[in-house]
Amino acid sequence: MIDGIHVAALEDIPVGEGITIDRDRAGTADDIAVLRDDDGSVWALNDTCTHADASLAEGWVEDGYVECPLHSSKFCLKTGAVQGMPATRDAITHRVEVRDGNVYLYPRSS
Amino acid sequence: MSRTIDVAGLVDTDGGLLDRAVFTDERIYRQELSRVFATSWLFLAHVEQFAKPGDFFTTYMGEDPVIVTMDKHRRIRAFLNSCRHRGARVCRADYGATRSFTCTYHGWSYDLDGQLISIPNRDGYPDSFRPQDWGLVEVPNVDSYHGLIFGTWDPAPLTLRDSLGQMTWYLDAMLDHDSEGTTVVGGVHKWVLDGNWKLAAEQFATDWYHVNMSHASALNVLAPTGRPSDEIVHRTGRQYVDPRGHGHGFPVHPKNRFDSQTVHEWTDYSALRERLGGARVEGPLTTGHANVFPNFSYLPVNGSIRVWHPKGPDRMEVWAWTIVDKSMPEHVREAQRLYNLRTFGPSGIFEQDDGENWSEVQAISHGFVTNSTPLNYQMGLGSERDDGRHPGLTSELYSDAAARSFYRYWAELMNTPAWHERSMP
Repeated sequence: MIDGIHVAALEDIPVGEGITIDRDRAGTADDIAVLRDDDGSVWALNDTCTHADASLAEGWVEDGYVECPLHSSKFCLKTGAVQGMPATRDAITHRVEVRDGNVYLYPRSS
Repeated sequence: MSRTIDVAGLVDTDGGLLDRAVFTDERIYRQELSRVFATSWLFLAHVEQFAKPGDFFTTYMGEDPVIVTMDKHRRIRAFLNSCRHRGARVCRADYGATRSFTCTYHGWSYDLDGQLISIPNRDGYPDSFRPQDWGLVEVPNVDSYHGLIFGTWDPAPLTLRDSLGQMTWYLDAMLDHDSEGTTVVGGVHKWVLDGNWKLAAEQFATDWYHVNMSHASALNVLAPTGRPSDEIVHRTGRQYVDPRGHGHGFPVHPKNRFDSQTVHEWTDYSALRERLGGARVEGPLTTGHANVFPNFSYLPVNGSIRVWHPKGPDRMEVWAWTIVDKSMPEHVREAQRLYNLRTFGPSGIFEQDDGENWSEVQAISHGFVTNSTPLNYQMGLGSERDDGRHPGLTSELYSDAAARSFYRYWAELMNTPAWHERSMP
């Protein structure tokens, strides 16, 4: 997997939103949320919120954070660090790279 | 039937008498919520309030809070706005756009189909817990007529179209000016009034009678000379009397209207005559007033549509929208908005008079002797007829006929076990 998983063309991930990569495809325990911040940068976190069953790819991405769509906990896009209740555990991050307008994901082995 | 009140003795529509208990009695009010509001088609919103999936608007059906929203298939649906867990509202905003509805109490979340999609501490629930059994309660029937969305809790209702009956001919005078239809301008004005909701509903159904007395000062202000002409004060017209309690009164005149000069000048009356016919353009499209039973009222010339939300026997909330023809250019829309605001907005020169009357009537209604003295609804008794020009039965412009029909139908519903009673074992 030296080239990573080709996730999408960069332009197919709207700024401020995200897409979900299925766990079977990523080879991970959880689905992975690939998220695009409002500065255009791309980040990846485990998709399921550490608080309850919610998809972070459905959340709001802004200013370096993703906010859970259901209960409003926020996580740092870069480190996965949880910013506030009701979640208390950090999210797991994964490496992503953008090359030639395409997004590649390097899942952290779980 | 021991818990229900027989209202037959309170409403005498043949004699034109009404017992004031219908405006004040707490048990009658509870029965209204159960047998009138839980069974009737109620106005929810205008279709133009929803552009994309997840757009929502929160309102009430009777006292039941509901979320009206567009689902992923762009279908308008409505759900009881109360969490299945401990019952708080799952949407606390007036309107907006969302992907899900999350209760702020413990965090149960529902998707746009009303399905329960996430609960905190899911592992704490027994194996028998099935999320699919705990979705939001859905309003079983939602339908629209020319952009107006209605819903009913009745699982097997008469269709909206059949429920409106011949009232549609009159409604079209406001809603069907051209093929583009109507849209909403501005937000929804909401205000609280002391007064039973029926005082407002029956007035919009039936009452031109109060205009020259209650609105004398407003008429003076609007008249270019400061004194309304004899022609304006002594109008004649008709009043549509619907068997399902709807009513629509209107002066009949080729061009005599109160409305914004800008809107008047923009309006293509010959095109309207072509589309709607002369009887409608010279009738319900003039300065009329109307109520769709039970609590949706409108003023065709102003583009004012409103709901009288019941808040106990003694109080109502007025929720009012301004609608305009989509084909109107911006300056005409703005003229219509300002004209409606000035006359029938919350501080409008006419609206203020009406609210004062309803609150005045309610304020004294609990006095024992006051409450025991029946009210008079005898004007135009027996005057309803087929006038050969307007569909259904009509009475005179000055008449209580539509009010009598309103209370006749109200009493019929109040004395009939509702769908939720019939399905009980």
